[in-house]
Amino acid sequence: MAAAAGAAAGAEVLAGLREILARVTGRDQVAALAPDTPLFRDGAGLDSLTGTLLLVEVRRRFGVDVAAEDLNLDSLASLATLAAFITQHRPPS
Amino acid sequence: MIKCVVWDIDNTLLAGTYLESGAQPPAADPELLRVARQLGERGIVHALASRNPPSAAEYVAAVTGLPFAAAECGWGRKSDAIRRIMDELGFAPDAVAFVDDDLMERAEVAAALSGVLVLSPEEAAEAPAWPDFSPAVLTAEGRRRGEMYAERRRREDAARTFGGSRDDFLRHVGTQVSIDPAGAPDLPRLHELSVRTHQFNTALQPVSEAALAGLLGSAGHRLTVVRLRDQFGDDGIVGGAVTEAMSTGTAGVAGAAGVAGVAERAMSAGEAPGAAEEARGAGGEAGAGLASWRVSLLVMSCRALGRGVLDALLAALCREAADGGAAELLIPCLVTDRNVPLRLALAAAGFRAAARPRENSPGGSKLGESTSGEGSPGESTSGEGSPGEGSPGESRPGGTGVARSRAGTAGVPVIFRRELSGPLPGLPDWAAVTAGAS
Repeated sequence: MAAAAGAAAGAEVLAGLREILARVTGRDQVAALAPDTPLFRDGAGLDSLTGTLLLVEVRRRFGVDVAAEDLNLDSLASLATLAAFITQHRPPS
Repeated sequence: MIKCVVWDIDNTLLAGTYLESGAQPPAADPELLRVARQLGERGIVHALASRNPPSAAEYVAAVTGLPFAAAECGWGRKSDAIRRIMDELGFAPDAVAFVDDDLMERAEVAAALSGVLVLSPEEAAEAPAWPDFSPAVLTAEGRRRGEMYAERRRREDAARTFGGSRDDFLRHVGTQVSIDPAGAPDLPRLHELSVRTHQFNTALQPVSEAALAGLLGSAGHRLTVVRLRDQFGDDGIVGGAVTEAMSTGTAGVAGAAGVAGVAERAMSAGEAPGAAEEARGAGGEAGAGLASWRVSLLVMSCRALGRGVLDALLAALCREAADGGAAELLIPCLVTDRNVPLRLALAAAGFRAAARPRENSPGGSKLGESTSGEGSPGESTSGEGSPGEGSPGESRPGGTGVARSRAGTAGVPVIFRRELSGPLPGLPDWAAVTAGAS
């Protein structure tokens, strides 16, 4: 992959995350979530089961082990914070 | 300890070959069937891995009458089939045995999955006499374990075809979580949970029935059990907690000595003097003279994952502590690569890492830098509303490296903390709480 612009990389991560979220939560409507929607509970409906599935899929697709890098899992506050965390911690390809 | 046996079908559980027997498939192998029943009564769960079509699994279930928690039929590698079974049921390789008459299959699994106990049918016939297949405690939940996994398969099938959200599904199937003070008859099951659970276990250290009995009679401790049922079946006691009530002034003392008997090793590794000071410091922030409660053990069966149990238990513990006058609730936890679901539940309930010990690691686990509060963005569970990338608050340099710095699966001790002054986590409407009797 050539050196992509940061914004394009961010948009790609965001799109990938929406897709993963829709799959693990079984809710198609999360594909249209605003970036600042909280992920847990009433926001995107994430719980400890779906959250774990999300983190496994994020590690597989983006190579970022969020659980290992972020003790408090603050990056899971919203779609935007998780996308930013992934963009920052992604290994160079 | 073996928790799950994955069986081959042809010439193993069946006395012959399923597909080559014409209209009438072969009967069950009488000796292995006797063994499998015996192991099932001990709470060991059965699964199938076969190169036959799925109809073979149905036939084996019918002809043996055994409850199979998972069945993998297909032409792929047996090691991949076993991996899927372990993922589905939440078992680690060292909790799984694999029985196959085919030497090549056994060799493939042994090479690909170190940790899995690989047995020929002849060896499996002797397994009931081995310590690895003989759990020390056997509870009502343990005896029903096989059936409960079968109920879980039916529940998950129903969830897949259900249209609404998870919460809607839990209501739809009549989920009932009841959270009650533990009584003496509950102690064997609490002990068993402390031994058997790994993904949802804050201490990762067995707690003996005697120690639990001592705590049951102690004024400063509260023992809680969580029961779970729905229309598919009754899972009995699926979780529990030990809570200590204490004031901030005695936090250091209680942290070092008060937990004796409950996860002593884990706690002493995690709470050498530095950590106790930090915990007291963290408590001090909440306000002088306010009480701080501590959950010295929190366990939940992984079978209850995704059924709203841990959220309900954490909400109930916060409420009980707040009602008891506590300003904060502390949950010391050994963070490993396997208890990510527990951390997710803690994060969702608003808990934050309050203190991490620095260089004092007698067990040799090298820890990352302490996060000790500064730079942590506070109660940010609702997000900061900044859609831009790289906002400075969310990636604290000190908060990294949990897994990298961890020594094996020994775990990194972390104290999770939640203030109880603001809004408390909501109790799901399918949960009922009986207030602590102590």
